Amino acid sequence: MQPLVGINWDFVFQIINTIIIFLVLKKFLFKPVTEFMENRRKTIEDSIKVAENKNREVDGLKAEYQSKLDSIKEERNEMIKEASKRADQRGEEIIKKAELEAKKIIDKANLDIERERQKALNELKDQMSELVIMAASKIVEKELDKNQHDAMIKEFIKEVGEAKWQN
Amino acid sequence: MEGFGTKILFEIPILGGIPLTETVVNTWIIMAILTIFAVFATRRFDKIPRGIQNVVEAIVDVINKFTAQTMGEDKKGFSAYMGTLFLFLLLANLFGLFGLRPPTADLNTTFALAIMTFLIIHTNGVRRKGAKKYLKGFLEPFPAMLPLNIIGELALPISLAFRLFGNIIGGVIIVGLLYGGLASLSGMLGITFIPVLQAAIPVVFHLYFDLFAGVLQTFIFVMLSMVFISMAMD
Repeated sequence: MQPLVGINWDFVFQIINTIIIFLVLKKFLFKPVTEFMENRRKTIEDSIKVAENKNREVDGLKAEYQSKLDSIKEERNEMIKEASKRADQRGEEIIKKAELEAKKIIDKANLDIERERQKALNELKDQMSELVIMAASKIVEKELDKNQHDAMIKEFIKEVGEAKWQN
Repeated sequence: MEGFGTKILFEIPILGGIPLTETVVNTWIIMAILTIFAVFATRRFDKIPRGIQNVVEAIVDVINKFTAQTMGEDKKGFSAYMGTLFLFLLLANLFGLFGLRPPTADLNTTFALAIMTFLIIHTNGVRRKGAKKYLKGFLEPFPAMLPLNIIGELALPISLAFRLFGNIIGGVIIVGLLYGGLASLSGMLGITFIPVLQAAIPVVFHLYFDLFAGVLQTFIFVMLSMVFISMAMD
């Protein structure tokens, strides 16, 4: 039995024991566990950083694609507008051309009709003058100079005819 | 007085016989437990903590954070020593619960630990401040204080050692007397072969002297070591 209060060999043992258990716990417990937790913290930090970067990248790409999509839509709208405008223009052109042509045809037809009418009128005048001469000569019995009378009658018919045909 | 001294279990037959006491053997048991725990608990460490790994990480993390908080971020390196001190003292103080003699109920153990703290205080004081500034510290606030300062420094490990020793040995003595008293009381009741009164009554005393005082003194010893070391370095 050792005395209750006293310093003896145990003191040396306990110093050595303390140093040993300190080294053992440091090597097997505190150092590896602290390092492990530190590494894990770093890994988690890194992965969070990577994820954040990726998110940012994705956001950028999304904005880019959105703007591209918008510009495509705009372009499409413009193309449609232009095409419809051109189609309208073309249709108008065609209608105008058709109207012009129709007018030309009508004019030509009118001209033809007028010409025919004039021709028919002239013919009628000729025949009538002959008929009148014939009738007159029958009445006067060849007393009159043919040429002189012919001119006279023609003049008359012309005056009468013009007044009459025009009505 | 003699009845509560440490028992000599074995004698190493060199240098005129070195006695191996209960204290040393129980310390070896604690060392074995801690070593087995440290080796086996950290053997299969997974990225996602599971089971015992959670416990180990929590212990180490609490000790690291507590050290950094008490001593300052720059003295985090002491966490391994402080953690060792904490785990060893905790197991040692709780040893009474298993009916074994706590190694801290021996002045040699507490004094050994206090002397280690004392050496750490002064080597780190010199290392951190430089020998000149460190020695000048003994002349503060004026040179006449030199002897008082020296006595103060020497008193530190003594108070540290005796505080822990006194608390634990007190518990050991009281619980021992209680067991003895209860046994003789049982004998007076006429039950000689089984001391029945030892069955439930000591629980309260164990709770106070071993669990409460043991944990509290562990905490105080570690806390004071931290404070003194960091004070010597700042």
